[in-house]
Amino acid sequence: MSRLVAGTLLVGLAVAPAAGQDRRAEVLRERAAYEEWLATSPVSPRRAIARPVLGDGLTLGPGDADVPLAGLSLAQLEEVGGTVRLRHEGTTRVLPRGRETALGAYRLVPLGRAGRTVVAIYGGALRGKAPSWYDYDPRLVLEATLEPPAQPGRVRVGTVDGLEAEATEAGTFAGALAGTGFRFTVRRVPADAEDAELEIHFRDATNGLGTYDAGRFVALEPLGNGRYRLDFNRARNPFCAYSSAFPCPAPWRGNAVTLPITAGERYAGGGLVVPAPGARE
Amino acid sequence: MTGALLFLAAAAVPPSPAGPWRAALDLAGGPLRFALEVAGRPGSWTGTLCNGGTCNPLSAVRVAGDSVVLEIGEYDATIAAALRGDSLVGAYRNVGNRGPRTIPFRAARGRWPAEPVDPRLVGRWHAEFLLDWEASPRLLEFRDTPRGLEGTVVGKGGDYGLFWGRTAADSFSMAHFDGSFVYMLTGRLDGDTLRGEFHAGLRGRTSWRAWRATDAPHLAPPTEVTRADTTAPFAFAFPDLDGRLVTNADPRFRGKVTIVDVFGTWCPTCHDAAPLLVELYRDYRDRGLEIVGLAYEVTGDPATDGRLVRRYRDKFGITFPLLLAGRNDTEATAATLPQLEGFGAYPTTIFVGRDGRVRRVHAGFHGPAVPDLHARVVADFRRTVEALLAERTTP
Repeated sequence: MSRLVAGTLLVGLAVAPAAGQDRRAEVLRERAAYEEWLATSPVSPRRAIARPVLGDGLTLGPGDADVPLAGLSLAQLEEVGGTVRLRHEGTTRVLPRGRETALGAYRLVPLGRAGRTVVAIYGGALRGKAPSWYDYDPRLVLEATLEPPAQPGRVRVGTVDGLEAEATEAGTFAGALAGTGFRFTVRRVPADAEDAELEIHFRDATNGLGTYDAGRFVALEPLGNGRYRLDFNRARNPFCAYSSAFPCPAPWRGNAVTLPITAGERYAGGGLVVPAPGARE
Repeated sequence: MTGALLFLAAAAVPPSPAGPWRAALDLAGGPLRFALEVAGRPGSWTGTLCNGGTCNPLSAVRVAGDSVVLEIGEYDATIAAALRGDSLVGAYRNVGNRGPRTIPFRAARGRWPAEPVDPRLVGRWHAEFLLDWEASPRLLEFRDTPRGLEGTVVGKGGDYGLFWGRTAADSFSMAHFDGSFVYMLTGRLDGDTLRGEFHAGLRGRTSWRAWRATDAPHLAPPTEVTRADTTAPFAFAFPDLDGRLVTNADPRFRGKVTIVDVFGTWCPTCHDAAPLLVELYRDYRDRGLEIVGLAYEVTGDPATDGRLVRRYRDKFGITFPLLLAGRNDTEATAATLPQLEGFGAYPTTIFVGRDGRVRRVHAGFHGPAVPDLHARVVADFRRTVEALLAERTTP
């Protein structure tokens, strides 16, 4: 009996550090995959050339095209009944939304809803800087039950990748760091999609002083039974931080803490140095 | 001794991936089961991925040593795993526009058994998905087939594809995985009610409950917004850097073409756009162009924001008025510019005609990092300004 009790206690003590190590390893794997994608993907934000609105149609290629693309003969894009068509060198192709299509040395990705399509165009060498990160900090991993939103409903927000999306007010995540409480608005982006992330666009005292000036994004992890994990080690910059081809999403009201959250992605370059929330001259 | 040698010889030959596999993705909320089958021989492997009776060919199967890579080309997705005897262990990876998504994957040799289906489950159910504190209607369908439980989930945008799974006692689990969509419906029969979770992707979890359906739910299509109100002059009223109120009704804007630049000093793309606005103002001011910058800043504190905006003004040599419009969150911007529906990007350039009404809204900007496109947007802005300057004022 006593051996059983002792064994149970040992297991109980051992589980927490092991879980922490697993968590750290998972976050580091996720970062590595993201870095690899940014460095190698033909549709990496670091290869973004432009994101024109499709509107009544676009021409690509020659110098007098809407979007000049070196080495490409004339290509024409148009939207017919919500379908994006590409005409190039005598053939017509349908471009699937949200997926990349090769066109010469370039890649095209139609995004957004029918009638409001933008076409993301990628190509060329990597531009800008690779991401850098704070060391993983297990103290900046919180869990809580999501509270109902103060004002339920929909709101249009700028997304990480510079699109405009309708989001659902998903609730409030209340937590505390170093004895200081905070309440973050949580939104499902885009609205209604069960596989959409529950996102928080937050600002903290590191903004402009080592992290992206206009705040970072972090997605909550549902744990079941209404519980959620907020792991600041997974915080990332919007794509606007990598390339000016992406519009900068506007931060959300109220989602600021006066503490420095030294976790997640860092930032160097672009914009002016902006004082952190709560900072005074 | 001979036995040991035989064992070593066998271990040196990589195992073959050929044959059926009971595969699963380990979602945060439990395993999503599907079937894989690999056929062929070294150098010419093929494969299929099945959800119950629906099978699709894999675009490529690559085997090198104990590494097996299954490509689902249509979705730019891969399953990469290590083959260890009778098991495959690795990860499913699908690259979206916002980066890679990875879900743990494992498989064991053999086929999933076709298990008997609880007849109480079969048929149509009217479900409510509890998404973000709101009940959102769905239709569930469960069928008893020779392959076991099959069915689907129907939402306002159509169905979620064919689901396949099993029932056990009062519980069930069925899933759809086609290389891109990762859906799993789990639940339990509780009297006349079904209750459970809908799992989407690695982490998505949505609670739901359902009752026997009488007819299909009706769902309204999502609304589309985003445009500028052109029925009335575009109105703004904010303090300048000296605290003086500047409004669209001021004499300096009367009868002029006006560019309203919604910007923030924190926004790198806005820094890219500023030199063009300075050029336009220099070139067209005498012909009737006015520009006003509306700064949406981080702190909302006029002293701090004012200092930042002055630095921005001095950096670019801006001589048109820059106004402290407020904080840079979406709601604040939307509240201060009620005629601009669906604002969501910095910078946003609003072209206003001589009659004070919005003619065009341009979200975002191409910076000089891509010279051709920068030249294009420069020419585009110039054309717009020239066209608006050429318009006659309606008496």
